Amino acid sequence: MTESEILARLRVFLQETFLYMKPDYVLSDDDSLLKKGIVDSMGVMDVLGFIGETFGVVPADDEVTEANLGTPRAIARFVAGKLRAPQKT
Amino acid sequence: MCGIAGIARRDPDGGELQLDTLARMAAAIRHRGPDGYGFYTSPRVGFGHVRLSIIDLAGGAQPLTNEDGQVVVTFNGEIFNYRELMRELEALGHRFRTVSDTEVLVHGWEEWGPALLDRLIGQFAFAIHDRRTESVFLARDRFGVRPLFYAQRNQTLYFGSEVKALFASGEVEPAPDPLGLDEVFTFWAVRPPRTAFAGVSQLEPGCWALWQDGTLRIQRWYQLDYSGRQDEPRDVLEQLDALMQSSVDLRMRADVPVGGYLSGGLDSSITCGLAAARSPYALRTFSVTFADPRFDESRYQREVAAALGSEHAVQPIDVGEIAAAFPDVIRHTETPLLRTAPVPMYLLAKLTRERGITVVLTGEGSDELFLGYDLFKEVAVRRFCLRQPDSRVRPRLFDRLYPYMVENQRLGDFWRQFFLTAGSADDPLFSHMPRFQLAGHIKLFYGERQRAGTAGHDALAELRSSLPAAFATWAPEHQAAYLEMTTLLSPYLLSSQGDRMGMAFGVEGRFPFLDHRLYEFAARLPVRSKLRGLEEKHVLRRWAKRVVPPNVVARHKQPYRAPDAASFFGGGGSSPGWVDDLLAPAAVAEAGYFSANAVAGLVKRCRAGQAVGVRENQTLVAILSTQMWHQTFLEARRPVAPLALDSADVVLEGAAAVPSV
Repeated sequence: MTESEILARLRVFLQETFLYMKPDYVLSDDDSLLKKGIVDSMGVMDVLGFIGETFGVVPADDEVTEANLGTPRAIARFVAGKLRAPQKT
Repeated sequence: MCGIAGIARRDPDGGELQLDTLARMAAAIRHRGPDGYGFYTSPRVGFGHVRLSIIDLAGGAQPLTNEDGQVVVTFNGEIFNYRELMRELEALGHRFRTVSDTEVLVHGWEEWGPALLDRLIGQFAFAIHDRRTESVFLARDRFGVRPLFYAQRNQTLYFGSEVKALFASGEVEPAPDPLGLDEVFTFWAVRPPRTAFAGVSQLEPGCWALWQDGTLRIQRWYQLDYSGRQDEPRDVLEQLDALMQSSVDLRMRADVPVGGYLSGGLDSSITCGLAAARSPYALRTFSVTFADPRFDESRYQREVAAALGSEHAVQPIDVGEIAAAFPDVIRHTETPLLRTAPVPMYLLAKLTRERGITVVLTGEGSDELFLGYDLFKEVAVRRFCLRQPDSRVRPRLFDRLYPYMVENQRLGDFWRQFFLTAGSADDPLFSHMPRFQLAGHIKLFYGERQRAGTAGHDALAELRSSLPAAFATWAPEHQAAYLEMTTLLSPYLLSSQGDRMGMAFGVEGRFPFLDHRLYEFAARLPVRSKLRGLEEKHVLRRWAKRVVPPNVVARHKQPYRAPDAASFFGGGGSSPGWVDDLLAPAAVAEAGYFSANAVAGLVKRCRAGQAVGVRENQTLVAILSTQMWHQTFLEARRPVAPLALDSADVVLEGAAAVPSV
């Protein structure tokens, strides 16, 4: 799956989960999810659940960082990277 | 403890003030005083009173006058040092007809005027008609334990313990105040003097108001203050001991049995422990328990009750009961809520009354005085982190602060960043910005009317501009304590979760930690006496070893919470019919506060069990409670039948009201 395909599915998830009350909000791929108030700490759980269920990607504890999960583009890049690399067990 | 109501007109209304209007106003708050009622009328001013008998059961009927009938009072609350004041006033030549705390107010007013307030140790809201100057004096206690609402229409003043008394007059029409509602969705509660109703105000804690010739003048008589030199005295534990003992001594004064609410935490264990040592019979203690272990503290409650030898009763709470009681709770809070936490307190008051107890001590106020809440530690950690913004080690302190968040959930840096992106360190509201921003999520759901009604309004800017001049000189933790007391303790904890839930069943709460002598002692202590590292209530814990079991002293605070959205959406996403009705798109659109589409999106997530975060939970409670509040006070108003005048304990009429001494 390409990064842009991941991004497209992620955007739908973010719209339905965090932005349903803001129909006019235009989500940019580089929007900081936390600083823009799109997700809160519990919302991070939802994001983690989504990428686990949808892409089978389960980040290690030290990978739950702003750099990997801070923006839609960062999440897509992180997930694509994980899908390319063999999963550690 | 009681309920009060009254009217003051600029011009005589052609005769005695209509008793039936006062009888309707009093009827609306009869739950506050089921033991009796009385009235006072004169050409301009009239009072109503509903009585919960606690002190001087035989002689304490109200309204009540001084010796010559020139000073008349209607009073809700307790003056705990009334015996001392009575002796002082008798020595000054005043003659008392009763042994009630109420009577010190009329003689004290004659003797000292507004300076009377400085002498009172108590929790009170009262009105005095001084016929010599044809003025009405309204006053409210220092911390806002007892409520007092008022409205002015056509140079007439209406006041009452609850807003519903004003509406029952038929002369004050209910209307929503979009700015008041906006404050609920910012601070969790409307900040006095505003209310959720347009044209209805509440007297701020620590303020008095004087009505004369149709105008109302308001003045602050008590200010929370953390100024001055802050040293821990060498005998700090002895001073604290003396104040705690005295505070509880005074609050055990009653002619009915005094019980205690027991949460299982340190503060209520202290108040119940001190009360048990003074109680002439086994203390009656009361707790709520939850089936859900995330909310339940029953193990600790049982331990403390056993150690105290109290006669303990519990009110189990399940989610279905929260939904079932919610409409009644909103009728009593008279404001929307962000949490369901008042509901268990409502059910606890019901149990307490059923068990024959009408006065309870609670531990409220300790967390504000001795820096017990996580929020105070959070301030210290956030400031520490912001001093070295690049440090990756410092933010890990948040994990120690909220271990239950990081243990079960992999939140990583995200979690820590939440605290570091809310507010700048030089903002006076720095301590509370995470909470205010979290609550502000609700505003994303505003409908067009509410959005238009709040255009240009900035609740945070208003709060900043209301801060006392000395605020900037206080330690950051003390600034946080001030904000906590003024934005949450008084308008939410003592009101929606306190007075209103207890008085729904005629149960009076008394708060030993909110004795102003104790507050002033705690405010003069340096922060490190209260918050040492990440140990909260340090000095209180050191002292508490004398009065409570050691494992309670060592136990760290568990925030009191109740299930929120889950209370209304059971298995399979089903909800009670009234919830469906209030949240239906047409009902949401008609009420006009929220966007019907946005609410439909939230309801869908709640039904699917997906609304698990704090933001969506408090948004759901906020929307549902606003809809219920709207229906109760603005749509489905029920006419109030007046109390029967021929059953009143007392009806005083103008100058002819002087009882024989």
